[in-house]
Amino acid sequence: MRAETWIFEFLIPVAKIIAVILYPMIMVIVMIWLERRVVAWIQGRVGPNRVGFQGLLQPIADALKLFFKEDIIPKEADAFLFNISPPLVMFSSLLAFCFVPLGESFRVGGYTLNLWVADSPVGLLLVLGLSAIGVFGIIFGGWASNSKYPLMGALRSVVQVLSYEIPIGLTVLTVVFFSGSIDLIEIVNHQQHGRVWFGFMLPVSFVVFWISGIAETNRAPFDLPEAESELVAGYHTEYSGLKFAYFYIAEYTHMVLVSSLVVILFFGGWLPPFPNVRFLSFLGWIPGFVWYLIKIMFFLYVYVWIRATLPRYRFDALIKLAWKWLVPLSLANLFVVVALKYLL
Amino acid sequence: MSKSTSLLRKLLLLDVLQGLLITLKYYFSRKVTIQYPEKIQESPERFKGLIRLYRSEAGEPLCIACLACQRACPTDCFDIEGERREGTKRLWPKRFDWKLDRCTSCGLCVEVCPVDAIRHSDIFRQTTLTRGPLLFHHDEMYITGEELQKYLCAGCLP
Repeated sequence: MRAETWIFEFLIPVAKIIAVILYPMIMVIVMIWLERRVVAWIQGRVGPNRVGFQGLLQPIADALKLFFKEDIIPKEADAFLFNISPPLVMFSSLLAFCFVPLGESFRVGGYTLNLWVADSPVGLLLVLGLSAIGVFGIIFGGWASNSKYPLMGALRSVVQVLSYEIPIGLTVLTVVFFSGSIDLIEIVNHQQHGRVWFGFMLPVSFVVFWISGIAETNRAPFDLPEAESELVAGYHTEYSGLKFAYFYIAEYTHMVLVSSLVVILFFGGWLPPFPNVRFLSFLGWIPGFVWYLIKIMFFLYVYVWIRATLPRYRFDALIKLAWKWLVPLSLANLFVVVALKYLL
Repeated sequence: MSKSTSLLRKLLLLDVLQGLLITLKYYFSRKVTIQYPEKIQESPERFKGLIRLYRSEAGEPLCIACLACQRACPTDCFDIEGERREGTKRLWPKRFDWKLDRCTSCGLCVEVCPVDAIRHSDIFRQTTLTRGPLLFHHDEMYITGEELQKYLCAGCLP
């Protein structure tokens, strides 16, 4: 076998496979650190700043601690379901990253390096579907624990995620309607060439998608499935050690995924801002994935910022928000967008 | 506020944005945390730290071994013996053993002392690796500050 084919056929795919697992993990580490530091700063504290530079290695220290913890399975628990649910949650959010592009493809010599693992013509559908599979892990985990708090947490999570899938689907439809494709790369490319990013073109879609995205990832102010004041820790109450770490990491991976989706769908993915302004054209020199990371980090920051600001919803208010406000709003939004597109 | 403006506020998420601005303000505010081992918060004036014995200005022990503290102590921390010395009318402490591991810092000994020999200090770090240093003899009851920290916490301070 020639060295070139060996590199292109074997080494680069393997590197991509490693990268698609490492990239979310690194983002999770940064995210856990960011969350603890930012929430602490907003509350007038300093936050973890001892382990590593400014506490950056704190998540690794936490993971090491969890690694050495005892693995407890409750006595009456369904061991198979109990064991399978953390990998299921993790798997669904990690697999979705295969379809999320990290930046534009660039040429190295005669080879085009694509910064995505799988270029699927139905990428958006796959990502949404895979992120919905994660709910099964939560149901199984809550049910198999054979304990009251996990069961309540799992029930709440199911109701919440199913309710908020609808506004997500309806708002994504508006974006798909404009771009004419459910390929994530196509959607980004459609926002190129001086077109306005969808976030500014369809602000209602963006806001509804963002609110539903926060609810979908069970984050504050919609973190009822793990409301610690009522349900201890919700569906992962009975989990300890690395299985708990799986749930924890999966939650943060899911947040990174939703942020990536927001950036891709509404804020031009890896495209630099202000492509039309002459004196800001130097922004185009920064590589695409840097822009992409900056945008993702911004939305992850907003996640934390919202968590530190808003108190938790009551459960009936949460469902009311979904069915009485977001679903009608996104339906009306879809209707108006379609009507405007055809009239103008 | 009329109903329509309140609806508009809800739809434009103005209240949420207002809240976000407030937290942003606090994000840049001064932090109240005191980075403990490097910086130590100044104790309040009436802070009830470890109890210490004090000397008079002449450098003599104030304690007259009246055993008032020993009697007042609810957890029996003290073992005190006095002795007479030639030419003085008072008792001098010959033995003054105080067990930190029994002390609850209740302060009854301080209240009851007729000569103010026993007082609270502002020292609150009282960790040791063994139980030995938790028993204070008479001359060890006078050490304070950094020296006491070295005495108590063998591994903590350089």
